[in-house]
Amino acid sequence: MSAINKLERHQARTAYLFIAPTMLLFVIFMVIPVGMALYLSFTNYDVLSRMDWVGLDNYRRLWDDSLLWLTFRNVLLYAVLFVPLNIVVSFGLGLLVNKAWRGIKLLRTLYYLPTLTSAVAAATVWLWLLHPEFGLVNGVLSGLGITGPAWVAETETAMVAIVLVTLWQSVGSNMIIYLAGLQGVPGHLYESARLDGANRWDMIRYITWPQLRPTTFLVSTMAIIGALQLFDQAFVLTQGGPANTTKTPVYLIYQQGFNQLQMGYASAQAFVLAMAILIFTIVNMRITRAEESVI
Amino acid sequence: MKKKWMTLTATVLTTALLAGCSGNSGGSAGGNAGEGGTNSGAAGSGESGGAPVELTFWGDWGGEGQAQFETMAGAFNASQDDIRVKYVLQQDMITKFLTSATSGGTPDILFWDRWRTSLYAPKNVLHPIDELMARDGVERDHYFEESLKELTYNDQLYGLPLTVDARALFYNKTMLEEAGLELPTTWEELATAAKALTKRSGDRLEVAGFSMGDPGLFSMYLQQAGGQMLTADGKTNFNNAQGLEVLSFWDRLMNEDKVYKIGFEQGLGEGTDAFVTGKLAMHYTGPWMLSTYKKYGSELDFGIVPPPAGPGGDLASVMGGFGLVIPEGSQHKEEAWTFIKWWLANKDNAMLWAETSLNLPGYKPALEDPFFADDPLWQPFLETLEFAKIRPQHPGYSVMEVDGLIPNLELFLQRKQSAEETLAKAQTQGDKLLKDNEVIE
Repeated sequence: MSAINKLERHQARTAYLFIAPTMLLFVIFMVIPVGMALYLSFTNYDVLSRMDWVGLDNYRRLWDDSLLWLTFRNVLLYAVLFVPLNIVVSFGLGLLVNKAWRGIKLLRTLYYLPTLTSAVAAATVWLWLLHPEFGLVNGVLSGLGITGPAWVAETETAMVAIVLVTLWQSVGSNMIIYLAGLQGVPGHLYESARLDGANRWDMIRYITWPQLRPTTFLVSTMAIIGALQLFDQAFVLTQGGPANTTKTPVYLIYQQGFNQLQMGYASAQAFVLAMAILIFTIVNMRITRAEESVI
Repeated sequence: MKKKWMTLTATVLTTALLAGCSGNSGGSAGGNAGEGGTNSGAAGSGESGGAPVELTFWGDWGGEGQAQFETMAGAFNASQDDIRVKYVLQQDMITKFLTSATSGGTPDILFWDRWRTSLYAPKNVLHPIDELMARDGVERDHYFEESLKELTYNDQLYGLPLTVDARALFYNKTMLEEAGLELPTTWEELATAAKALTKRSGDRLEVAGFSMGDPGLFSMYLQQAGGQMLTADGKTNFNNAQGLEVLSFWDRLMNEDKVYKIGFEQGLGEGTDAFVTGKLAMHYTGPWMLSTYKKYGSELDFGIVPPPAGPGGDLASVMGGFGLVIPEGSQHKEEAWTFIKWWLANKDNAMLWAETSLNLPGYKPALEDPFFADDPLWQPFLETLEFAKIRPQHPGYSVMEVDGLIPNLELFLQRKQSAEETLAKAQTQGDKLLKDNEVIE
């Protein structure tokens, strides 16, 4: 007995040794800063001159902060549009490029290419494409007899424009993740389904989709977190306008902390955002894991 | 989450700066700076004898701007032997300054967007220069009073103006002549000209007569209508007759005469700037666009006039610009002052800077130089600066404008809310933002 214990202890020690570097980095760069930020959210820290304990004042102020809640509504709207579209489009692309056609590698590369572009550069090009009078998008629309809107400048379409641009940029990498998942689905499942008379749609619905549930969970979780932390594309495309319709919490937190030097209050806002992300991730986990995998 | 990364960055930076700067305090305090200070090379005349004092000068101008700053530092270094100034480009200067101000690794001279003074001076991170100015006889009259006011908090002055700017009306000469129009001097003439210059084909706007792309110019229009943005006790002051006057003028341009279309200039970079490509006939902008527009030479024949007067004859423009300040954490304030004085209180050096960078210098005697006074493109700006006023000095002012006022103005311009509702909502939201961001003693 004691020999086994000793072996286990030895193995445990080695395991701890192996994870130590990662854990150390995690503690220094994540746990300590998060703990500090939590502490700061109870102070009136301004980076330069003071850091006094103010209790729940910052959190009380949050209730009346209509602008903060507006930015939350904005990213929620964004997430509702972006997350499902992201899954559908990248799953669809994954299915398409999973075939062993000639030239498929070229297509995969092309679909992936937008992901490699810098977010700011891509947004700048899109601004030009979406220009109301001289842009390509409205040019095509007017060819079809439709007067296109001033995409990024009108309150109704600004968020749609941001969804389009971010979607264009993120489906590539998610397509790769789905592709990896698709190649891992065992072929015998399709074979037996075909013997039982299943058509192509049935196979996607009852084999591919359920088999890819872990992939979908990963993709949707990342998409939700990314959506709630939306910042750079929105900033370049619209600077939060028009009429605050595309202002996001991260933009507001940055402004409050670094431009207005109210780091304590900004930390409180950041914690609300972190909690929101946590809640949505848990909800998403429940939904995606509702059904058990086929095998 | 982003916030956490920033905290982390701040921590790392602080550590790095602490480590980097601990060995830096050895330099002697240097000789007393020379008196008078109107000659170049007036620094302490060789009293210190030993190695020269090294000064660090931070700014966030890269590229051409960096070369311009380096020209000035080089000229100063060549003029005397006691002080060596080195320009260090900091892309994210304010954030770096925040971390350094608390750790002792501050630079000695800081390139400073003046409006930030009302936010930073109350935190005691900038060094007041009143005594140094009085001692060396640097005269306040040599600067625009408004630009000094913007560098002042609680009756203490925190720096000297490096540049001054204000918006004026740029117009396309060719288009104006073709339409046979006089230069607009009042709102009425501006609206008439804008309407006459606009070209449409069906629903398409081909040439916009006048740019309505920046609702942030509201503060200028309000002053032209005889109003003020804030009351003396720091509340918004635009929900009144003057505010309505501005909005009805905008409504006329935008929706009756249709001289502009929302989003018309958005996404157009320098090469495709609507004014350069002849798609925009008139717009408000500042001297910073001059060098860009001049590049197009004869392709773009343009002129400038001061902003037209409002219905009551009031003239207004918003003055802005940069200054140089000395952080409280600097180890060499005396030498830093010597450098600032050499640059900003001496006509020759101010002119060297002006001609290198093509900025209007903050030092008035330099503005009287024929280089500016006789140039038809600079002259309208000199006229405008005579009546231009700075933004109100409230630490929450820019937040009030950006998050409270402008969003409501955008809704108004897109005809989504009435003028009365716009002003009422902007007042409620603006007052709250001002209060949330005021100075806490």
